[in-house]
Amino acid sequence: MINRRMFHAMGTEIELLVDADHAERSLDAAELEFHRLEALLSRFRDDSELSRLNRDGSIEPGRDLARVVELALEARDRTSGRFDPTVHNALVAAGYDRSFEQLPAEGETTPPPPAARGVWLRPGRIELEPGVQIDLGGIGKGYAAERAAELLALAGPCLVNAGGDIAIRGGSWPVGVEHITLQLDSGGLATSGRDRRRWQRGGRELHHLIDPATGEPSETDLLRVTVVAGDAVDAEVAAKSLFLAGSKRAAAEANAAGMPAVLVTEDGRTLLAGGLA
Amino acid sequence: MTNHAGRLYALAIGLVVFFLAWAVVAARPWVATADPRQKALVVRQVQLQREAKLVSQIVAQRAQLARVTRNRQLASAAAAPVAPVAAVRVVNLPPLTITRTS
Repeated sequence: MINRRMFHAMGTEIELLVDADHAERSLDAAELEFHRLEALLSRFRDDSELSRLNRDGSIEPGRDLARVVELALEARDRTSGRFDPTVHNALVAAGYDRSFEQLPAEGETTPPPPAARGVWLRPGRIELEPGVQIDLGGIGKGYAAERAAELLALAGPCLVNAGGDIAIRGGSWPVGVEHITLQLDSGGLATSGRDRRRWQRGGRELHHLIDPATGEPSETDLLRVTVVAGDAVDAEVAAKSLFLAGSKRAAAEANAAGMPAVLVTEDGRTLLAGGLA
Repeated sequence: MTNHAGRLYALAIGLVVFFLAWAVVAARPWVATADPRQKALVVRQVQLQREAKLVSQIVAQRAQLARVTRNRQLASAAAAPVAPVAAVRVVNLPPLTITRTS
């Protein structure tokens, strides 16, 4: 029997699915895990570990913050900087300075700050270059989905959907992506795009997918990218990276890597790549 | 008579000794034989020894380079995360959940 629970956390709708008769305790644990990680990783909570790091420039991190920062820095190296947690100040400059639900429809922007890279992960300490702040929004959600899936899997085969970042443990799960259904037996899936989390500033439409090379919202011909990868974190990073590449390059990269991807262009075309076609 | 025969014997023996000494001196046994083939062999031996030393140095350098390259490859292979392969296929089933922009 499939048990389903939905709730709001990390600025999005979370959906837990577990194939088990008695899964209440695991569902509770998975939901609590989301709230726990949100309290640590949100840049919109003044008392979160991430906010303290951004404010003080240095912190003795807990296990989760250290791991997510480590994953983010690895992702930055792996994507040659297309994924970069130091886009925080660029996001704020573009107007995304509070939780998306509280974002005013109109407002002012400031010029994008220059690219910054100074994040050091040392044993027992994270340090930021003066002026650098980091955002772990997307990758934090993927990480939380994976951690929650681990807890939920104690009850049975499960799927965790954190607003499009999907983690799976066991079972076989049909997931709707655009007009097709993908049957996932393992791994993770994530969608990144500029069709949500967008706002107006100075008559210009902006969105949250910042190109670290320019510090401004990306302007490629893609609207949405969905990627299937080894886990939700890798899928999240790959989806953002492919989004910034633009449709042609993204399809070529997904094909070369054998990474299943669904690309939706701004003119409404849906391209299947990485072995899905 | 006896003295006469004695002198003749002494003379003969003296002549024999003289010619033997002459032959020995003429042979110059104290001078080493300078055979050109032997000289060539010695030169070749030295040349081969020098080349062998050079080859050994080159082989050692290449082995060291191969060891360093191999160690780097092993280190990078160990450091690189092994991405688990995701199993996915397109199906004609109603989805249990949908993904959308997060």
